[in-house]
Amino acid sequence: MKLYEYVIRRLILLVFVLFAVSILVFYLTRGFPRGIAPWAPYIHPKMTAEQIEAVIKAHGFDRPIYEQYFYWLRDILSGDWGLTGTWAQGKPANEVFFNHFPYTVELSVFGTLITVCIGIPLGIISAIKNNKLPDHISRIIALAGYSTPSYWFGFMLQLIFFYYFSLWGLPHLPSSGASALGKPNITGLPLLDGLLSGNFAYAWDEFIHLILPSFSLAFISLGFLARIVRASMLEVLRQDYIVMARSKGLKERVVIYRHALKNALIPAVTLTGIFFASLLGGAMITEYVFSWPGVGQQALRAIFQGDSNFILIYSLVFATIIVLANLVVDVLYAFLDPRIRY
Amino acid sequence: MSGQTVKTRKGEWEARLADIKYSLYLLRKNPLVMTGIAIAAFFIAVALLANVIVDPKLAYPEGYPGEMYPFDRKYMWNANHFIQWGPGISLYYGPEFFYLGTDSYGRDLLKMIILAIPLDLYYAVVITLIAAFFGTLLGAIAGYAGGVIDEIILRITDVFFAFPGLVLALVLASILERSLETLQLAIVLVWWPPYVRLMRGQVLSEKEKPYVEALRALGASHTRILFRHILLNSIFPIIVQATMDFGGVILTFSALMFLGFSPSPAIPELGNLAADGYGHIFDAPWVIIFPGLTMLIISLAFNLVGDGLRDVLDPRLRR
Amino acid sequence: MKNYLKKQGKDQPILEIRNLKLDFHTYRGEVKALNGVDLKLYPEEVLALVGESGCGKSVTALAITGLLPENASIIEGEVLFKGENLLKKSKEEMREFRMSECAIVFQDPATYLNPVLKMETQLKEAILLNKEALKKAVIAEEKGEKIGYAEFLAMKANPNEVSVKDHRVSRRKIDKMAEKLIIDILKLVKLPDPERIIQSYPHELSGGMKQRTMIAMALARRPSIFLADEITTALDVTIQAQILHLLRELRKKIATSTLMITHDLSVAAEIADRIAVMYGGNVVEVTSTRKLFRKPLHPYTQLLLRAIPNILKPVERLESIPGTVPEMINPPPGCRFNPRCPFVMEVCKGERPKLEEVEEGHEVACYLYKR
Repeated sequence: MKLYEYVIRRLILLVFVLFAVSILVFYLTRGFPRGIAPWAPYIHPKMTAEQIEAVIKAHGFDRPIYEQYFYWLRDILSGDWGLTGTWAQGKPANEVFFNHFPYTVELSVFGTLITVCIGIPLGIISAIKNNKLPDHISRIIALAGYSTPSYWFGFMLQLIFFYYFSLWGLPHLPSSGASALGKPNITGLPLLDGLLSGNFAYAWDEFIHLILPSFSLAFISLGFLARIVRASMLEVLRQDYIVMARSKGLKERVVIYRHALKNALIPAVTLTGIFFASLLGGAMITEYVFSWPGVGQQALRAIFQGDSNFILIYSLVFATIIVLANLVVDVLYAFLDPRIRY
Repeated sequence: MSGQTVKTRKGEWEARLADIKYSLYLLRKNPLVMTGIAIAAFFIAVALLANVIVDPKLAYPEGYPGEMYPFDRKYMWNANHFIQWGPGISLYYGPEFFYLGTDSYGRDLLKMIILAIPLDLYYAVVITLIAAFFGTLLGAIAGYAGGVIDEIILRITDVFFAFPGLVLALVLASILERSLETLQLAIVLVWWPPYVRLMRGQVLSEKEKPYVEALRALGASHTRILFRHILLNSIFPIIVQATMDFGGVILTFSALMFLGFSPSPAIPELGNLAADGYGHIFDAPWVIIFPGLTMLIISLAFNLVGDGLRDVLDPRLRR
Repeated sequence: MKNYLKKQGKDQPILEIRNLKLDFHTYRGEVKALNGVDLKLYPEEVLALVGESGCGKSVTALAITGLLPENASIIEGEVLFKGENLLKKSKEEMREFRMSECAIVFQDPATYLNPVLKMETQLKEAILLNKEALKKAVIAEEKGEKIGYAEFLAMKANPNEVSVKDHRVSRRKIDKMAEKLIIDILKLVKLPDPERIIQSYPHELSGGMKQRTMIAMALARRPSIFLADEITTALDVTIQAQILHLLRELRKKIATSTLMITHDLSVAAEIADRIAVMYGGNVVEVTSTRKLFRKPLHPYTQLLLRAIPNILKPVERLESIPGTVPEMINPPPGCRFNPRCPFVMEVCKGERPKLEEVEEGHEVACYLYKR
């Protein structure tokens, strides 16, 4: 199958998936009978009965569910994602979403960077010194990361690096939130904007705020990456062409870096891509623990409140990201491995 | 274990036994796995004996006369303990000694953790089993049947995969009435897709093997081939995945409780206990530290076992 | 043959294996793979090491090059290269040995080539190991000499006194020289269109072409010893013939000593000067090719030769050697062939017979011929 045929097929699949996701979420948040009314997030106790009626009509909650869906579909295609509930001051859902998205992007980028920089070497060492002490140590680190509850780890970081450090008089890292020094105005990414606009204090402050939450995210996933890299490397190191490379008299280091690594890292690269995409989904718990103003935190609130508009835009955006990421990764695989060229 | 020819009943079990003996031998050689197994065994023992060691009624303060939990026991640490958690930590000077301090209800945290272990383990096992069962079943059918059925199952799985992180579980948990069973259902719905993919891949590669063709030639029905032969041969990666997922499920379950989806704040469950201390991170850190630490160790133990199992069962690393 | 070599001062073996015993540790037990191997390889000859699968031929090759897997341990014995025991060398020294003195070509070119690296990288790295030599070549070329592979070879045999330390040669020039030499070698192994091959990936080449590139990689290191481990086994018969033909031609041009490992007696007959027959981890007979086929002494060799059907005579039944190859975890005591030997005697089950010269240029390990 040619490459573009493959891509087109996957994109059609994406549309299908988006429909399925939207229908599912729509039904769950608006149609499913439960204790709270679906318009509950949009009203507050001080409203009169007529105001409540007005809100209901405005959102369309009085119509049957399938009608609601079609109206909603029509609205989003013209860019109107509806309003959020009272928890976000009733602002348009896409505005709330895109205001907070850059923060999640920052967190994801940093988190992925740390994961890759620590996870891959960990996996390589584990493979080269298989079953010896460095292997056992890095396995414990990797598995410990993987087994750590994210809420607990985030909290421990805050406890040590913020509370106790300041108690002991050491320079400490901020425990929550993003920087409040400036406002993102160019790209929307606070760190980048700080650098671009020359406001280095802002950039630095943002960076400091990023350290703990990114590390918290990374610690949990670097174990997984290290395991994959290790398994991959072990597989590669057993191949005949590695024996061949050694038989040529190449230095062991060259054998590993030039011959083994390139083969072993292919699955690791693809995994990193998918991991990054899923991080963009907003590591909800980490954002919650660190009060990081990203999209995951907003989603958490929206879910608690039952705010269907926000939940819908959130789910759909991320379904798209994940499916696209999978597609990109698959195509990338083809480019990285010369045997699968189209 | 795969790629075998059809054997007689007796020969088949002998061969499997020999394989299992070899696996056990390899397992024994790995110190990490043995540690994991030891820890896991310890926790399982605690779980089984929990209701014997600790009176479960201690978990519910409402059931007791007020003097059982005097007000000055809220968030308490022992005054004569050697760890000083920091200034501003409330100290306790009473006759009882709390190894791990108290929580916001004045309950002894150690006892609460002991009570929480069986609850967590139970739900983790149930969730993993259900998710693995359905996922494997669907995956096997998808892989074996191929064609339209395969496509349908795959698409459904894709939809579930497209949900970021815990969103689906959270949405479900929030719309259903609050109970442990509904949480269970929510998590099962999030954890089954990986099994579908895993099993489907296994079945696809097993399908091509010569012994399947031989079985068809002998007249075996599809169900018989699928369940008696292919399933048994592909079961090991599923077992490994399930063991590793066990650690993940326990984390997810407690995370949901931590976020506030538990039916009652007093239920002894590790995430729930941690949530209790969330507002008082800095003056009563033990309330989050110890339940979380327990969670970590349990999860680590099972992950060690699963990881070791995966190494041992990897057909290419044997012999 | 021996007198001729004596005159050339080449009657000392370049590679000698003495009583090599080697075990593998496995879950099932100790596999006693090599049971006291004695072998002598003389300069500029082609020695074929022949035997069934599992008799220890490839293991011997790996032992020579120091590429044994981790679970192997050497119990006893020596591997002498120009008088020095390779088994006592450090890893680094063995690496240098493989780099410039000993080249091994393996059986299946499909798995022994790295699929994600271009042929260019894999070929060049073989030759770029020896930067000194390349520098000398560049310098010589700058002086106006024409440098091709033949000259490159000669430079090894007759090292000139030009010190390389004073000259600074740029990396680019070294690289270009490497590329030139590689293309020359590729032409030598009869590969058409070397420039295109260099830019290809392994999976784009055919089996025969891949095997030739492997031979090219070996030649690039100008080895004194060339080990060929079943290099024709994975190829079909016509390609096999081509490769053997190539080896015969190369042999005239390049004076290396070759150890040709094969299970196919006909391959050995085509190309070898002498043949060594291996069975169950021992060398049981060594002699010149003609003598082996004319007058095999060891019972195993005799049965082996009888098993080859003669296409000129009518044959009703194929002859085979009764019994099976010995299990290496619990091998039979004494001479490992004794369970299957038609001439077995009591003494054969005792101590293993050593390889002894019973005629001029003919060694056998069998009590039938003990003096």
